[in-house]
Amino acid sequence: MPKLKLALYWAGACGGCDVAVLDVNEKILDVANLADIVFWPIALDFKYHHVEAMPDKSIDVCLFNGCVRSSEQEHIAKMLRAKSKVLVAFGSCACFGGIPALANFTTRAEIMERAYIEAPSNENPEKTLPQTKVKVAEGEITLPELYENVYTLAQVVPVEYYVPGCPPTVDLILKVVNALATNSLPPVGAVVASEKTLCAECDRKKENKKITRIYRTHEIIPDPSKCLLEQGLLCMGAATRGGCGALCIKANIPCRGCFGPPPGVADQGAKLVSSIASIYETDGKDDIQKMVNEVADPAGTFYRFGMSTSMLRRKHSRKR
Amino acid sequence: MLKKMLGQFGVDEKRLRLDWVSASEGDRFASIVNDMTEEIRALGPFNRSDGGK
Repeated sequence: MPKLKLALYWAGACGGCDVAVLDVNEKILDVANLADIVFWPIALDFKYHHVEAMPDKSIDVCLFNGCVRSSEQEHIAKMLRAKSKVLVAFGSCACFGGIPALANFTTRAEIMERAYIEAPSNENPEKTLPQTKVKVAEGEITLPELYENVYTLAQVVPVEYYVPGCPPTVDLILKVVNALATNSLPPVGAVVASEKTLCAECDRKKENKKITRIYRTHEIIPDPSKCLLEQGLLCMGAATRGGCGALCIKANIPCRGCFGPPPGVADQGAKLVSSIASIYETDGKDDIQKMVNEVADPAGTFYRFGMSTSMLRRKHSRKR
Repeated sequence: MLKKMLGQFGVDEKRLRLDWVSASEGDRFASIVNDMTEEIRALGPFNRSDGGK
């Protein structure tokens, strides 16, 4: 069998997904035996024009991490789609928008204002903002356009597979590599993870699902053997896909929801809110208000990784 | 909680109402539904644009 041609790309991402690929340690040699890496900006010196020159469908698999929120990212996503036989949304940002998609709670104008004018470290009395085109003595220079919205990869181009996680775990990455090596890829559209919720895979003792107070993670040290939600921590395991190996849970930290909604759940945040509401013991309006106050940022907590694929997708203006 | 969260999404809190009506309170049910319908009509359609690019 000829070697596979593999590409990896980062769009709106922190680089953690690329580091996760390197975290497979000595197994990276198996990857190198299996595939020729033809494009990987974080590690190799291939340029965009090298990819542009490749014939369509000449890359066997492209692992694409990061969200799409600029004209450059959209352009590369479309280019890699055309050049790749199999395109994989790799990591929570490419799958659901991820942390960058929390920017959907604000607008491009507000982001520019905050980053370039308002932030205390700025010295910008002329209120200069980045422009997509600027004329200088040497000619015109350009920058990609920042979009109003954060998109997932599948909202921009068709995608074959999804590998969730912030970042995807080494086990999942090896599962993908193994599927490629043995030519046993799942049906198109599959999410490479578990079909159950994280709760279903969690070993902690679950007894009495009633809470009277919600704690933030820094406020208590939870019992490592008992369900975190029962101890008042907002653990997202009930509305999050499993398959991560419960890494956070094993470190005594509640799940933050990076594997996205489990099969059959359309809106991860709404599901989480309804599960919290059903276990909070209240005795009238004061208790309800207390619960609401205990969650400082409900939308940011329940949609931490899933804004782009949520039903509302972003903050909407009140006026038309 | 849902109200607080929808507020963060820019959804007017008047668009969500939680009420309790017993099966025997038909009139009350009708009046709540009518009130809510009128209130939503006054607010007009929800602007669900995705903001575009």
